[in-house]
Amino acid sequence: MSRFAPYVLKSLWRHRVRTLLTVSGTAVALFVFSFVEAVQEGLNRLTREQLGDRSLIVFQANRFCPSTSKLPEDYSRRIMKLPGVKEAVPIKVYMNNCRASLDVVVFNGLPADKLRTVRDLTLTQGDWARFEKQQDAAVVGQAVAQRRGIQLGQKFSIGMLTVTVAGIFQSTVPAEDNMIFTHLDFLQRTKGLSSVGTVTQLEVKLAESADVKATGEAIDDMFRSGPIGTNTRPKGVFQANAVGDLVELVGFIRYLGYACIALVLALVSTTTIMGVQDRVQEHAVLQTLGCTGYRIFSMVLSESAILSTIGGLLGVGVALVMLQVSGMALGTEGVLIAFRPSIALATQGLAVSVVVGLLAGVVPAWQAARADIVSALRAA
Amino acid sequence: MMSLVEIEAVTKSFAKGDQTITPLKEASLSIERGDFVSLMGASGSGKSTLLNLVAGIDRPTAGRIVVDGEEITRLSRTKLARWRAASVGYIFQMHNLIPVLTAYENIELPLLLLPMSRSDRQRRVDIAMQAVNLTDRADHYPRQLSGGQEQRVGIARAIVANPTIVVADEPTGDLDAETTEQVLELLRRLNTELGMTLLMVTHDPNAAAIAGRQLRLDKGKLNEQAKTQKE
Repeated sequence: MSRFAPYVLKSLWRHRVRTLLTVSGTAVALFVFSFVEAVQEGLNRLTREQLGDRSLIVFQANRFCPSTSKLPEDYSRRIMKLPGVKEAVPIKVYMNNCRASLDVVVFNGLPADKLRTVRDLTLTQGDWARFEKQQDAAVVGQAVAQRRGIQLGQKFSIGMLTVTVAGIFQSTVPAEDNMIFTHLDFLQRTKGLSSVGTVTQLEVKLAESADVKATGEAIDDMFRSGPIGTNTRPKGVFQANAVGDLVELVGFIRYLGYACIALVLALVSTTTIMGVQDRVQEHAVLQTLGCTGYRIFSMVLSESAILSTIGGLLGVGVALVMLQVSGMALGTEGVLIAFRPSIALATQGLAVSVVVGLLAGVVPAWQAARADIVSALRAA
Repeated sequence: MMSLVEIEAVTKSFAKGDQTITPLKEASLSIERGDFVSLMGASGSGKSTLLNLVAGIDRPTAGRIVVDGEEITRLSRTKLARWRAASVGYIFQMHNLIPVLTAYENIELPLLLLPMSRSDRQRRVDIAMQAVNLTDRADHYPRQLSGGQEQRVGIARAIVANPTIVVADEPTGDLDAETTEQVLELLRRLNTELGMTLLMVTHDPNAAAIAGRQLRLDKGKLNEQAKTQKE
């Protein structure tokens, strides 16, 4: 088959405008498909990774938006006394937007000495010492820094909050690359928030031997008769609940991805059929020279697959670069779904483009391979 | 001893609307190795049909065709294609070169279907190009060639694999008088100097006259004519 590669490539180049339009259309469709799949992948990653984490999130009962959950900070001290609890970290969440948005900026205020013990962060710029000693210091996730053009040492304000950037970090959890961590007491004392002594949630780290479900129930039982009841869930469940509305939306958006695949199928198929119809006589000449039907079938299928694969390479490639550069994240109720480029995403996009290209070529290739030679020669 | 081509009681019929057309009716013919046979006849007399049957691109309704001991009428579609690649050179009236390939690549095409190294292919293409005197046009595309040059490329493509038989379907039908002379002379040399077996369909009595045997198809029947000298 490789002996006929020059013929296949030159045939595609012969109708270069048609070829370029098909490749462009395929690229756009695969670009959209990759973005849709990045959203789905981000959602899956959020729930899958956190489900394995032995952490509980304690939230105020019957509250959903972080701005309405106000737990006494002192709860952490009482939770620490429960068996199997390694750490209970009070967290104050502040964000510029409680609704679903593509540009949510989420601040998490934690005790400065606890941040590095409960989060796996690596500073790419700045230093921890400056963060720990400066009250209004913040470390900024690389994605939000990139998206908002935030520089090391810069003071920046969002809403009623003004912080100084002491570092820019990279997290092992992609969603955290879209967060900003600052001091808990600074966030509590910020004018307008006036929440000294209260936190949004508590993150409880459990020992390997602890029963996650039973410990969660024990926490809720402990505060049931108190001034503020709690709702304790494993971190993965908490995040899945928070983004529950988005799951349906993302599920619906997937149909857009499937529509893109159908579009590529129709586009490449149409172009290949046109190419075959243009070359009915040429294929008959090749068969007269001795090409088998299988060889003609393979050549047409190759043309179709090449069109789709080149489009796929372009579309998926541009999508991955944009995902990397934009650092986009979809946020709701303080939980972020990060859209990140990944090898799985690239592999899936390219596999789809190759398979769709092959499928699109089957019917025209079959027609070309089964054409009657004499009739085709006379048709010219 | 068996002839190179044995056509035995071959009939070809096809439906056209409500009618059944039978351009060939129990036609029989033997062609010896090294023969140059011309086939004349009125339009629709079945001469191209007979040529296509011998070339293995069409199948008879009845009868059998044996070429060099191989009964091609019994071969499957795929085996017939492989047989054509190895055994038949086809010269078209309208040249039918592949427009995206250069003259060299067009001539090389049949060799790509055979188990042959790149160097062997190159050597064969060079010989074929020399035979048709087109070595200086190797990198030209069909659109850059004259009609006569295109037909010479078509002839080189037909002979490059050293086939058992070369068939030519009105090879001079699209050429002017001067170019026709050159192409006919080329075909004659292929027969006399290289010993190639040729079956040529033509409307032109002058073209037919260069062949050693001249046949006429009339109402589906083959008639051998006495050899006439070309004027």
